[in-house]
Amino acid sequence: MKSLSLYNRTSTLGGIYFLFLVNRMQMHYFILIMPVYLVHSYMVWAIVVMGLLSQLNLMMMSKWFTSSYAAKGYQGFLQLFGKRAVQIFAILGFLIILLKISIVTLGYVEMLHSFIFPSMDKKWLILMILLISLFVASHGMENTLRFVVIAFLCGAWIVVLFIPFFFQADASYRDLYPLIPTEWSGQSWQGLWFIWSAFSGPVYLAFMVPWLSSNKKISKYLVIGNMLSIMEYILLFVASVLFYGSHYLRKIDFPIGYMGSYIQTSGLERIDYILISFHMFNYVFDISILLLCFYGAGRIFMRKMKERSTRIGLLSSWFVILISIILMDQWLWQTVPGQKMLLNLQIWIGACIYLLIPTILFTAVKRKESM
Amino acid sequence: MVPYKHYGLLAIVGLMWMAGCSSPYVENNKIEEIAPVVFWSIDKGTEGKLKISTLVPPLIQEKKRLLSKEVDLLKQGGQEFNLIYYRELKQGQLRMLLINEELAKKGGIEKLINTILVDPDISMRVYLLIVRGDFDEYIKNQLTKQENQDYFLYRMLKHYEEHNQGEMSIVNIHKFMKKVYSPFKDPILPVFHSDKNNFNYVGTALFQNDKEVMVIQDVDDNIFQLLDNDHFLKVLAIPKFSISLGRIRSNVRMKLSRDYSSLSLHVGLKGRIEEYQGESNIQSEELLQHLIHEIEVYLEEQTSDLLKRMQRLKVDPLEVGTHSLKAFSKEITDEQWMKHWENMKINVDYDIKVHPLINGAVDVFQNK
Repeated sequence: MKSLSLYNRTSTLGGIYFLFLVNRMQMHYFILIMPVYLVHSYMVWAIVVMGLLSQLNLMMMSKWFTSSYAAKGYQGFLQLFGKRAVQIFAILGFLIILLKISIVTLGYVEMLHSFIFPSMDKKWLILMILLISLFVASHGMENTLRFVVIAFLCGAWIVVLFIPFFFQADASYRDLYPLIPTEWSGQSWQGLWFIWSAFSGPVYLAFMVPWLSSNKKISKYLVIGNMLSIMEYILLFVASVLFYGSHYLRKIDFPIGYMGSYIQTSGLERIDYILISFHMFNYVFDISILLLCFYGAGRIFMRKMKERSTRIGLLSSWFVILISIILMDQWLWQTVPGQKMLLNLQIWIGACIYLLIPTILFTAVKRKESM
Repeated sequence: MVPYKHYGLLAIVGLMWMAGCSSPYVENNKIEEIAPVVFWSIDKGTEGKLKISTLVPPLIQEKKRLLSKEVDLLKQGGQEFNLIYYRELKQGQLRMLLINEELAKKGGIEKLINTILVDPDISMRVYLLIVRGDFDEYIKNQLTKQENQDYFLYRMLKHYEEHNQGEMSIVNIHKFMKKVYSPFKDPILPVFHSDKNNFNYVGTALFQNDKEVMVIQDVDDNIFQLLDNDHFLKVLAIPKFSISLGRIRSNVRMKLSRDYSSLSLHVGLKGRIEEYQGESNIQSEELLQHLIHEIEVYLEEQTSDLLKRMQRLKVDPLEVGTHSLKAFSKEITDEQWMKHWENMKINVDYDIKVHPLINGAVDVFQNK
């Protein structure tokens, strides 16, 4: 059996990578459906509040990034928690990552399906997209982390195209009223959790510290990356409220996608095709990183950490993901309640791990240091 | 490192499988074999059916003909046309949806428009038009006279949509549906008149509860463009005073009283006198002011009359209701607003500032 050096490291990636990573990991599928969950214009404050809380969370994580345990990778975790606990964490992580990959893929494929290939069988799209991610992931952790630069360059400019929606003739600022929440319901709480969960992407960075530099200055980059995401969320959300008005907005499944299709230049029409394709870079990056984490978690609970990573190992974890996605699509995603349930599950789990992991790591390091 | 050739192999096998065994693409868009549709014209058919028609092929050098069919459902139209015509009709280039006025008066056009909206091939920028008269007759007659008439109609709408030139109300699907679903907003559509030889703009149709309730035209339509749609008019001709004002920009201020019992509407117009054929000597400052005052009074009367009719029919296309929204308080419901709107007292006040007609007619420095 040939071995595959997926987790080797030749050099550590500098601080600016933290900026890209934090920003891109917060901009995957959830940004596309975000307006539907927020709906009311006053929920823009929810983005601000949750974004600032996420800022605090990232500061807490930066303490972890600079600790000596993090840089040691797996050994560091063993020292902190002991073998048994790490294995249990790995199993939990394995399931959580599987769920996240599946839901993000299903969501993105649904978008591709409804905009670009409406008469294509969805399984083809799932297969193609996972193949691309497998290709990227097979280049190893370091190269995949470097891929974030491409994902950033291909995705960050898209938001600029939505600025003209602020100046359209029928965009009235009165559509943004009322500015303060006049009623607060279960749906509003869900909106808050949704945003928190959407910002939760960078939590996986906690397990990639060995490949990243761990000098003291990274917190600046974390903050800037998070700030960029907040700005992108606010811009897209306000633009979508101005474009649809909150009453029409709640009837649209992919508001950002349809806004993309409304953009028109004298030369090109239906720019949504181009935008969705460019967004795919971001998506592929996200899935590849998660795929490597997934395989890593698998190796830990199968007690294979001493051996080298193999191609069979990576391929079989890829197959687990493929099968899980296809089954989820068959059983749950195709019905509205099933889809809602999966999305709610992802919202809750994403939100919970974003709360728990930084706190657990932070307290564990503090406790060890005081001992 | 990873041997890349294996991935290449995998990709080739994958592509061969896709092309050979079970093709995932079921749509054939070979340009020589399809006919992209530019417009659908929907009319009332017999026995509650819809009569839909389109011109094929739209842009290829080939003899054109008008296809028309009576169907129960809109989508059936496209399907049945494929059976009688040798090219497959594709909807991706649909640009206009023409709906007959009788259908619009009967109601139910929102469902038709929704059908177009949910089709992923069709853009949300499809223009919506209400047609008074028989459009099929017109386009059939034009087949011999003017090539590509359907495309030129589209270009005309696009021309007036850009830069809000204040000639016509141009509405696309998105603008229409946004107003349908939003409170305090009632949708509008342009109305065109069509007979054998002509196809011309009439005015703006106002909709309430999915039914056309009123068409405003001529001076009323001009006022409507100034009040809401474009805030600009190239020419406002007032034959009563033998005067044409040109390049008018309007500045509209609405002020609702706290209990929503009255509305004061202040319209500031800035423009030029571009034509005067009357008897009065408008070179004299005093007489000019008198004339302008008369125009102001005239426009005020026309506007309050227009608004009264809107109130009677319970339509609010000017979106006056959105002025009841406040930054820091709860919004009122659409029904509550309609009750207020019906009984609202409206004060209209025009303030016209014009650049006088001076070139050649008057000594510019006469006052010096």
